[in-house]
Amino acid sequence: MRTLFQLIAVFVVALMLGIGSAKYMIEDGSPLTTKQVGPWASWISEGNPNTDPYTKAHLARSGRLPLTSTTARYFVAHTDDTGYELNSACEYSVEGSALNARWWSIALYDEHGSLIDNPSKRWSFNSEEAIRRSDGTYRINLARNARPENWLPTGDDTDRKLVLMLRIYGPRDIDTSGIGQIPDDRLPKIERKTCS
Amino acid sequence: MQLRVPLLYVLLCLVLAGLIHIAAVLALPSLAPKNAWARLVPLGPANAMIQIPVVAPGQEIMPMMAPDVRYAFCRFDLAKGPVRLKGAVQNDLWMIAFYTSEGDNFYTVSGVDMKSAQLDLVIAKADQAVAEAGVDAPEESDEVFVVKSPVEQGIAMIRAPLAGPSRAPGAEEALKATSCGPHAS
Repeated sequence: MRTLFQLIAVFVVALMLGIGSAKYMIEDGSPLTTKQVGPWASWISEGNPNTDPYTKAHLARSGRLPLTSTTARYFVAHTDDTGYELNSACEYSVEGSALNARWWSIALYDEHGSLIDNPSKRWSFNSEEAIRRSDGTYRINLARNARPENWLPTGDDTDRKLVLMLRIYGPRDIDTSGIGQIPDDRLPKIERKTCS
Repeated sequence: MQLRVPLLYVLLCLVLAGLIHIAAVLALPSLAPKNAWARLVPLGPANAMIQIPVVAPGQEIMPMMAPDVRYAFCRFDLAKGPVRLKGAVQNDLWMIAFYTSEGDNFYTVSGVDMKSAQLDLVIAKADQAVAEAGVDAPEESDEVFVVKSPVEQGIAMIRAPLAGPSRAPGAEEALKATSCGPHAS
């Protein structure tokens, strides 16, 4: 009888460990599948026909249809530079510099990947339209109310999780395995300003 | 008072956890009900160019679509022969990407790679013959470019990134003018 209980316990623990670790590696990624630079995470071989099972599972669950890393790179941030979750209760400044690519865009979403409704219908800034300083750097302000420079509205809701996506089409620096390279220091800094 | 777990149980637990982990990871792609293919199929028939409605809050076909890109796709089905994509590429930023139903992006052409602004390409399976330029094709199909597909059914997605909000109508117009259909001849 005791042996039976022990075996059941072993099975339950194994189930939790197995499913839990699979879920973690598929949703959040691991150093095998993702590159993490500060708050930004990028699935290195997303969309690649020869990718690993974790990335395939991640892609199927996400419902997205991304380009492979040879033609585009996608970076997603759920937190600011200090690791706090992005939330519409706070204001943020996103400071970036020029990227060596044909086109890039920073867009703001809620936690489900939907755009956030706002009267000015402003959901993103791309390389052609963001107001930039003479050295190519720019600042995008995330806030509920209008802000100078580039303003991305975070909506009326005062407690909404936010997600930023930086998509880079046609990166010009390609490594030997064909993956577009974005130097770490080129990714925007996400700084939390004030919170209500 | 026997708290010591035998080593055998710990090993059994780890081996079992490993197997469950592998099974879960491998099973997930086929269990995910709402992958990109499942989201795009209801939008229209196969072998036709379909414009994805402009992304608006709460009306996204797929999560995290770019609000400053206009999308059109053709769900190709090569069962009855090769399929042809035609249109005029509006600018260098355009990208035409080819996917399997599982989302494997097996080929991509971008506007800069194209020799002319005329998009004219044929999608065919490896064993399907396409009249290649210069063999027995008529003069005007000189520029026909063949994309070999590893699958019978897949997606050709055109992305038209916008240089600014004022460019949206032009891009939508240009996408509307692209076509997808059976490759005659």
